[in-house]
Amino acid sequence: MVVTHLTRRALMAASASILALSMTSVASAQSAAERAVEAAKQYSGITLNVFYEAGLQPLDPKNFTGPMWEELTGIKINVIESPISEMFTKTIQAHRAGSGAYDVLNVIPSQMPDMVQAGAIIQLDELVAKYGFADELQKIAPVYRDNQMKVDGKIYGFPDDGDVLIMYYRKDLFEDPANMEEFKAKHGYDLAPPKTWKEFAEIGQFLTDKFAPEIYGAGTLHAPGNAQFLFQERFRVEGGKFFDAETMKATVNSDVGVKVFTDMVANTKFMPPGVEQWGFIEPFNGFLAGNLAMTVSWPPVGRWAAGYGKGTEALNWIPETKVADKIGYALPPGGRPQLAAGFSLAVASGSKHQEAAYLFIQWMNSEEISLKRVQLPYALRDPFRSSHFESEEYRNRWPSATEYLDTLKMGAETGLLDLSLIQIDRYEEGMRQSLSRLWAGEDPKTILDDLASQWDALTERIGVDKQKAVYLDWSSKPNAYPN
Amino acid sequence: MSSSLSSTINDQRVFKYLLIAPAVFIILLIGLYPLIKLVVGSFQNISMFDNDLSYQGFVNYARLFGDERLWESLLHTVAFTAVALPIELVLGYLLALLFLEKLPFKQTFVAIILLPTVISPIVAGSTWRLMFDQRFGPINQVIGWLAGGDVKLLWTVDPMLVWPAILVAEVWQWTPFMFLLLLAALSNVDKEQLEAAQIDGASWFMTFRRIVLPAIMPVMFIAVLIRALDLFRVFDVIWTMTQGGPGTFTETISIYAYQMAFREFEISYSSAIAFLVIIILTVAVIWALRRVELAR
Repeated sequence: MVVTHLTRRALMAASASILALSMTSVASAQSAAERAVEAAKQYSGITLNVFYEAGLQPLDPKNFTGPMWEELTGIKINVIESPISEMFTKTIQAHRAGSGAYDVLNVIPSQMPDMVQAGAIIQLDELVAKYGFADELQKIAPVYRDNQMKVDGKIYGFPDDGDVLIMYYRKDLFEDPANMEEFKAKHGYDLAPPKTWKEFAEIGQFLTDKFAPEIYGAGTLHAPGNAQFLFQERFRVEGGKFFDAETMKATVNSDVGVKVFTDMVANTKFMPPGVEQWGFIEPFNGFLAGNLAMTVSWPPVGRWAAGYGKGTEALNWIPETKVADKIGYALPPGGRPQLAAGFSLAVASGSKHQEAAYLFIQWMNSEEISLKRVQLPYALRDPFRSSHFESEEYRNRWPSATEYLDTLKMGAETGLLDLSLIQIDRYEEGMRQSLSRLWAGEDPKTILDDLASQWDALTERIGVDKQKAVYLDWSSKPNAYPN
Repeated sequence: MSSSLSSTINDQRVFKYLLIAPAVFIILLIGLYPLIKLVVGSFQNISMFDNDLSYQGFVNYARLFGDERLWESLLHTVAFTAVALPIELVLGYLLALLFLEKLPFKQTFVAIILLPTVISPIVAGSTWRLMFDQRFGPINQVIGWLAGGDVKLLWTVDPMLVWPAILVAEVWQWTPFMFLLLLAALSNVDKEQLEAAQIDGASWFMTFRRIVLPAIMPVMFIAVLIRALDLFRVFDVIWTMTQGGPGTFTETISIYAYQMAFREFEISYSSAIAFLVIIILTVAVIWALRRVELAR
């Protein structure tokens, strides 16, 4: 089992403090975590099957929360892993088969309406009231709390991962006087983290022209599964709308869509060769190696590039960072970053231990436990509670942690929601296929016309009025569109 | 025949049927039940949100005709089978010819050649994806050395390269299977006939056409049939290398059926697709068997 010194210390300290608290306090002074522990003791001896994305994510329940929960309650945690692309499929399959394979689920928030409609997850309002968790739920950062927790006004999951696409850049290059002078002379404005995608292209090209092949201006996510988030973001930042709110006809093939697609292809010209194949790992490695001046990715990149977690056994695969003291954090161009997936904790309707499963997620998601979880060096859970962003402990984790957390906090305020509709995975599949065609060199307009036709056919099949109601509900949220 | 003898024979027959009955029942249960379930499902409306088990007529079958993506994937499948199968057959035959002679460490080499077939197709596909990686893959590196400069071939992205890349992976993995069966078949060709043909001055082609081919035909037919069926159902290698992309450019019928069934949860429609595939393969196999019968 992979447990680092830091993790062991954290585990022991957390267990000790929670044990002490649970022994001394019973009712009135109890926190939500303590209430969950007290109530869960009646289920001692059972095993909860917890469904997690494969990779680093499950190290939290395997090495940290799982053992701690067992020590506190006697309930064992069995972690079942799956690639993220298969999680929805497997959850629905298990539900339809009535297998009861999972008790606790990680649900991608944009897929939550589908999960609810399929009956795969249970409503949590009564349990939230019963175990007094409502106040702590209110302390989750608004963009996650208001958009990743409820379906039709009812609670179905606890937002548990502050995913947001942040820009990371090389401060040393941006603050180099020679670069600044040359750039200003060429473009007439200061060299700084780009505020628009036009600036992004100009800065990227400038730095590539000057430093390639040692350093390229930028390198970003291009694998269709990842790039679809960047497309969603850029499309909306540039003024695009996914659908006509009246007719529910897809408008993704508008002039804005074509411009964004065209620009995305043009941007590859100042990125490293082969960038069309880049998923999460390649830009991450490139940035840590000092080969990229800018990248846009999920929060773990920002902390690992700063050297956080160095020496942790589970992170031995990460190359030595050469930019630890040079990293700058900013919102991506447009200032409205995509929230890009994330996870909410939910309880499977097929679970034989629904209440125990609920208590486990309340405990995990609580203020005190979640603060420790988001600081696990190997964790992929990113800050999602106001207290996480403000935590002094977290802010002192590495020299630029304050700047990092402030940027994440800004992202959590301005972040754009992933498109969420009935059968969203099918709409996303269309986007993924379109992007793979784009990288293969097809004409943007043709691709987007095909995508629009595909979406329209899908909407027709699902039911225009039914889908329109869901879209209008989604698009009325403050973080659906920039304006 | 006396009545007692007739009765004994009848009893023996009944007893034989009784003996094989459990095996027949299990085979029918395993083979026939899923097929019946599939056919029944194709006439219902089971999807992610609907579990409508009522009879829906031929709605799902009618949908097949208007589904361009389905026919496109079928075309990909047929074309891929038509290209890969002869390549595997010819390469397998040539390799078998090579190993027909006495060679030092022959058994070791045969074992090494057979290694790809024992690797899981998923692993093989993933390995080839890495091999074809633009930046770190050895294939671009080697081409770069030969070309005398960096090459930027996007094997799993560029439509011009993606099918050849898949073809290489598939041929690499399954040519040894052809090789093994053809080696066994060639080993059994009557050597006296070959020597006689040689003495009579028959050409290589005539010897192959008149002696070798008839001798290896039954085994070769089985090998071709097995590989054709496998190629028609190809999934793993393509899924791991391209997931059917770019777009749906490398989507085969199996990948499409998988997408429909397990990504989009169109269970009834995917049942109709699966039944269509069963019909196509059954017709193809019957046709092939009849051809062989006629050839005999």
